[in-house]
Amino acid sequence: MTAHPVAEVGKAARAPRRRLRTRLGGREGLAGWTIVFILIAVAILAPILAPHSPEAIDGNRILAAPTATHPFGSDDLGRDVLSRVLYAYRVSLGIAVGSVLLAMAVGLPIGVFAGYVGGWTDLILMRLIDLLLSFPALLLAISLIAILGPGSLVALLAIAIIYVPIMARVVRSSVLVVRGQAYVRGARARGASHLSIVRGHVLPNAIGPALVQASVLMAFAIVIEAALSFLGLGSQPPTPELGLMLADGNNYLTQAPWVEIFPGLGIAISVLAFNLIGDGLRRSFDPNGITR
Amino acid sequence: MTALVELQDVSVDYAGHGGSVSAVQNVSLTLGENETFGLVGESGCGKTTLSMALMGLLPASARVTGQLLFRGQDLLAMSEAERRQQRGDELSMVFQDPATSLDPTFGIGYQVAETVRAHRRVSRGESKARALALLREVGIPAAESRYADPPHRLSGGMRQRVVMAAALANDPSLLLADEPTTALDVTIQAQVLDLLAELQRKHGTTILLIAHDLGVVAQICDRVGVMYAGQLVEVAPVAELFAAPRHPYTRALLEALPSRGRRGRSLRVIGGQVPDLSDPPSGCRFADRCPHRMDVCATVPPLVDSDSRRRIACWLDPATRATAGLPPVPAAPTPDAPIAVGPS
Repeated sequence: MTAHPVAEVGKAARAPRRRLRTRLGGREGLAGWTIVFILIAVAILAPILAPHSPEAIDGNRILAAPTATHPFGSDDLGRDVLSRVLYAYRVSLGIAVGSVLLAMAVGLPIGVFAGYVGGWTDLILMRLIDLLLSFPALLLAISLIAILGPGSLVALLAIAIIYVPIMARVVRSSVLVVRGQAYVRGARARGASHLSIVRGHVLPNAIGPALVQASVLMAFAIVIEAALSFLGLGSQPPTPELGLMLADGNNYLTQAPWVEIFPGLGIAISVLAFNLIGDGLRRSFDPNGITR
Repeated sequence: MTALVELQDVSVDYAGHGGSVSAVQNVSLTLGENETFGLVGESGCGKTTLSMALMGLLPASARVTGQLLFRGQDLLAMSEAERRQQRGDELSMVFQDPATSLDPTFGIGYQVAETVRAHRRVSRGESKARALALLREVGIPAAESRYADPPHRLSGGMRQRVVMAAALANDPSLLLADEPTTALDVTIQAQVLDLLAELQRKHGTTILLIAHDLGVVAQICDRVGVMYAGQLVEVAPVAELFAAPRHPYTRALLEALPSRGRRGRSLRVIGGQVPDLSDPPSGCRFADRCPHRMDVCATVPPLVDSDSRRRIACWLDPATRATAGLPPVPAAPTPDAPIAVGPS
């Protein structure tokens, strides 16, 4: 378990960098983080990077094939597909990150509370969570949209609601594991209050699986959002959005496949990146496979 | 010897699905200041339950009755907040497994400092200085550079030293050590026990050492209490207990130990099994396995002073018999006579 002190000295210099890498999820995770950071940069810098306005209609370039000035071609209204894809990441990433953060903000406290307190509290909270979990995810999203009307923000909210029970359950199960650890009992024996134990010992040790789950859920959020937009329930035209672009391109797949392919690739790359992070983090944070 | 802890008829029952389990029954015990008291008995005999009752860390399903006095204060009458204040300050505990009793996500020094800060209004710098001093005191080499090391960088023995540093952070009056050396190998075990004895001398802490290993108890304890199936059956100064055990269970326990004098002979085993504590026998709980079983054993023998230094709960003992108005057993076996214990 513990290396010889002499061997430890030589390792110490390299240790922090290596530790950071394993923490982020090893080679896999690093690749994922790199892609995500590039995508975020692309989303932020879209106005600079995009060669054209995402909403500029060019009557001469309707369904035009890719050229040097329009590398991804143009869509049915003659809009530049590359520019639209770049802008679309603003919506997709925003919803992916936003929905998961919102779900964590609600689900994490529920999971920690239920898992740490246990007993009847746990039982009742978890049955309520199960109730939410028993609706098919898309149905839940669609019914919320039916009430609030379509839109990017509503999609974000709907996805967050889908994710709350998942988050709560994952956190609860890892809290259950941590709660039984001797160091929690030890902290009690040293006179720590419940609140400081939860903050100081339970959360740091139980957060790993939740982070793994969060990165995987972000990948799914992109897909769900694209699906909702594809169905006309998420972002509304003319917002550049990947799912919406898929829906547009759908009709011209045989004549102008680039309208469909590039947004599709855009979705695939972002989903891949979040999944790489998730798998990497799982290896370093959750060797017991709670999130599996 | 002034009393630090007084237990009067302490019983602990756990409520379970099929009725309750009587884990500790009518234990009366006094711990003096500066004393190292060993509590021995096999697994499941209630040693840990008793110590958790003292700490106030029993699960909600446990019901404690009787009286637990600490410096004359009734522990059962105190609020949870008061007890929390006491834990880690006046009362402190070292657990069995050093591998899991430290949080893997934090540096070892931080966990010692945390204990200081939980009870003293001190700055981070002060608590760190105190933690470093404690780590040095328990013999962590290069404490400064080790301060931020996570527990997995330390060996088991070193980890247990850290746990002890945290337990002693606020100079507790009573340290409960629940099998502190069981998870360690023999040489490290000896070092940790030496350290415990040294700290006891230096700080004048009362130690309640829980062990199932009589060798460990012999090494550092002043007095020993023997528990069997939730009952405290014998209390004696350590040398006297080893020289002349009086309770049949203590005797059987000692005969189960390997010793140089009996080299080559097989060890005695105690026949039979520990009674089911969800349905305990009404009298002496050792009666079923005892070679001296009498009719009177169906009544619980009270723990009484056998002489000025020893207490015993056995109907064989004249002092216990006297409480029920019984004459001494005619042919009381002498302590040194070999006794056949159960079917071998």
